[in-house]
Amino acid sequence: MFAYDLKLAIDSLKRTPGLSALMALAIALGIAVCAVTITIYHAVSSNPIPHRSQVLHAVTLDTWDVDRPYDEDEPENPPTLLTYRDATTLYGSGAAPRSLIMYKSGDLMLPERAGVKPFHATLRITTHEFFAMFDVPFQHGGGWDAAADAGPQPLAVLSAETNDKLFGGDNSVGRTVKIGSTEYRVAGVLEPWAPSPKFFDLNNGVFEDPEDVYLPFGWGRVLELPVHGNTQCWKSENQSSYTDFLNSECVWLQAWAELPDARARERYQAHLDNYARSQKATGRMQRPLNNRLYDVEQWLERNEVVSRDNRVLLGIAFLFLGVCLVNVVGLLLAKFLNAAPLTGLRRALGASRRDVVRQHVTEVLLLGLAGGVLGILLAIGGLAGIRMLYDDEYTRASYERLTAVDPVVVLATLALSVLAGIVAGLYPSWRIGRTAPAVYLKSQ
Amino acid sequence: MDIKPILSSLRRSPTGALLVALQIALALAIAVNSLFIIVQRLELLNRDHGVDVENTFVVSWVPVAGRFAGEPAMREDLQVLAGLPGVVAATTVNAVPLSGGGSSTSLYTQPGEKGQRGDINYFAVTERGIEAFGLELVEGRNFDATTVRKLPRNGSEFVPEVILTRAAAKELFKDEPAVGRTVYDSLGQPATVVGIVAGMIGSWPSWDQAGNVALFPVIADEQQARYFVRALPGRRDAAMKAAEDALGRIDNGRVILRVRPLDYIAASTYADDQAMTVYLAVVIALLLGVAALGIFGLASFNVGARTKQIGTRRAVGARRLDIVRHFLVENWLVTTAGVVVGCVLALLLGLWLSETFELPRLKLYYLVAGALVLWGVSLAAALVPARRAARVSPAVATRTV
Repeated sequence: MFAYDLKLAIDSLKRTPGLSALMALAIALGIAVCAVTITIYHAVSSNPIPHRSQVLHAVTLDTWDVDRPYDEDEPENPPTLLTYRDATTLYGSGAAPRSLIMYKSGDLMLPERAGVKPFHATLRITTHEFFAMFDVPFQHGGGWDAAADAGPQPLAVLSAETNDKLFGGDNSVGRTVKIGSTEYRVAGVLEPWAPSPKFFDLNNGVFEDPEDVYLPFGWGRVLELPVHGNTQCWKSENQSSYTDFLNSECVWLQAWAELPDARARERYQAHLDNYARSQKATGRMQRPLNNRLYDVEQWLERNEVVSRDNRVLLGIAFLFLGVCLVNVVGLLLAKFLNAAPLTGLRRALGASRRDVVRQHVTEVLLLGLAGGVLGILLAIGGLAGIRMLYDDEYTRASYERLTAVDPVVVLATLALSVLAGIVAGLYPSWRIGRTAPAVYLKSQ
Repeated sequence: MDIKPILSSLRRSPTGALLVALQIALALAIAVNSLFIIVQRLELLNRDHGVDVENTFVVSWVPVAGRFAGEPAMREDLQVLAGLPGVVAATTVNAVPLSGGGSSTSLYTQPGEKGQRGDINYFAVTERGIEAFGLELVEGRNFDATTVRKLPRNGSEFVPEVILTRAAAKELFKDEPAVGRTVYDSLGQPATVVGIVAGMIGSWPSWDQAGNVALFPVIADEQQARYFVRALPGRRDAAMKAAEDALGRIDNGRVILRVRPLDYIAASTYADDQAMTVYLAVVIALLLGVAALGIFGLASFNVGARTKQIGTRRAVGARRLDIVRHFLVENWLVTTAGVVVGCVLALLLGLWLSETFELPRLKLYYLVAGALVLWGVSLAAALVPARRAARVSPAVATRTV
């Protein structure tokens, strides 16, 4: 029976090729706009580390000015970064099963390999837990230990791209790299790794690549490596040295804690609050107690990774699909009613009302599917077009990731187009099924 | 013209007409709000940025630790850059305007964090800063070369003089003259306002106070420093090439990383806004296309379905023009119903957008423009079917009756 329905549907579509093409095109356009928007939205809103996102927590303390909140538009938000003394004290307390502190920096990389020019390497200055906590995959070697952080020992972990550039992709563990005026021994080389969004540091580019080189935390202080993320200060403090900067109320460090369950989270929250109370006693942290732990999803939301534009575009895309569907409903109705004498004939010859509806729905499903396939092709073109709009060295890499054709979205889009077809076709099919055959047989 | 037969034919098969009206309403609501967003973004992109975006470029470099000579090396580089053919002026900067990265500080009109406070985006520049940015000095004077110096890293020392944009001066001193007045940093250290420049957009173009900019007479620290150069109109690209070559020939303990025109950097900062305008423009074009398709489809169907009726009317004396008019007026009625509902929907959608996303409220004249466009599109889409209807011969009427 399905084969017969299919044959009827194809015959009917062929009878009005122009109209059929218009309807498929209308569905395709709606689907394409939705698919492009959903692809980007899906990439932007995706969870970069799903299996650990509820365990990892960004740590914040409200160390800001008593007279003025950190964020005047959303005064309930504590700063996203920590001061050096709070970060190091909390880290040293061992209150979480595992935690880390870090910041982004950069310096000149002086390659030994012939033909490789010196370049500016982005650096992540971090305590050793980074790789284990964020599940960072190594292709050679590994990270370092607590002693290397404290030393600090001259060890470095290279990103896959940096290793390719400096050592042609060889196993460089044990070789040396010169950054600034310091030589480091390569402890490990990462696999290509670029969580998107870059949840662990949302300060600069939310979708930018991770750093080129990772160095033990102690080097930051020893070499006075500059902060390449944000440094935000509220207090008027007389500073005349790097030590003054470290002791200031300026916030610039990121802190993460691994809290495997609600109990651990409560305990760590209590620890944070107790620490803040002890600081209040010394005259610091005069704002109301507001120290927050954010798991990865909450952190992405707090940092507004999904932008206003992303949401507006998603809304507009679905409204646009709505317009296309209304359009298809109208065209289908016209087409079905035009062919009503034929349907009347079939009814008169014994086709039941259900048969007629089913035959028409089959036709609509076919249209939806055709529209969906065409829509996905258009969407792939659209995504390529969007990549062209971001063709500069700063945003190119991010948008290549965000506009990559996403199999999940492709499947979802196909389902959406069939659903759209059914939604659009239901009323016209029902309407034609309801019509009394006699009306159309009269004038034959 | 009698519209009674039109109304009666609409009443007999209202569904198709309703669908077209609904489509027009939705299309109008979306298109008008999209257009409104586009216009806002274009205003942002095309406003006067103060800085000479087309003719300036940025040289990024990094000092080699232990080999870099500091201020003398930077002065040497600046001299080389300023001497290049086609170059107007060059300065060191701590941050690049329109790049999305920079520094801000709070300035006060009284010491002790008192008086009027302004959050000011500041740029450390030499006495050639105004020229290098391409700014217009409207009051007071430029920095004296002797005040320009390098400050110790991690220090809290303030500058003796500042130059403010008009916007920054207004933020601090309201409408009073600012030249000669004193501003204070948060430690209460004073600086004299020596000049006012017309205006410039600072580091963060999307910040609502992006025009609150101050210039400080400071040689930027080498950890942040870049060179900012302005060329004569039309000679930027050649100057960039010359700068790269000339600086590459000098070894004073720094490595040149990149030379990039400012318009390239600014385009990257604005990439999201630019993409948004293109995307929405495409959506509007598609919307109008789809709406036209729907109108064309319905009108064609009506013509097909009413062939006999048209033939009858022609046989009893209706002229071709009457038939065309019949279909166009019918279509106009449907479109107008859609436009009226669409205006309401557009306002609701605009209200929702402005409440949810803190966007400005939709301006009413956009509705007028949207309505006119849709009327035009609708007329064009119905014209072909209506003329086909007019060609129906009166003989059709006699065939089967």
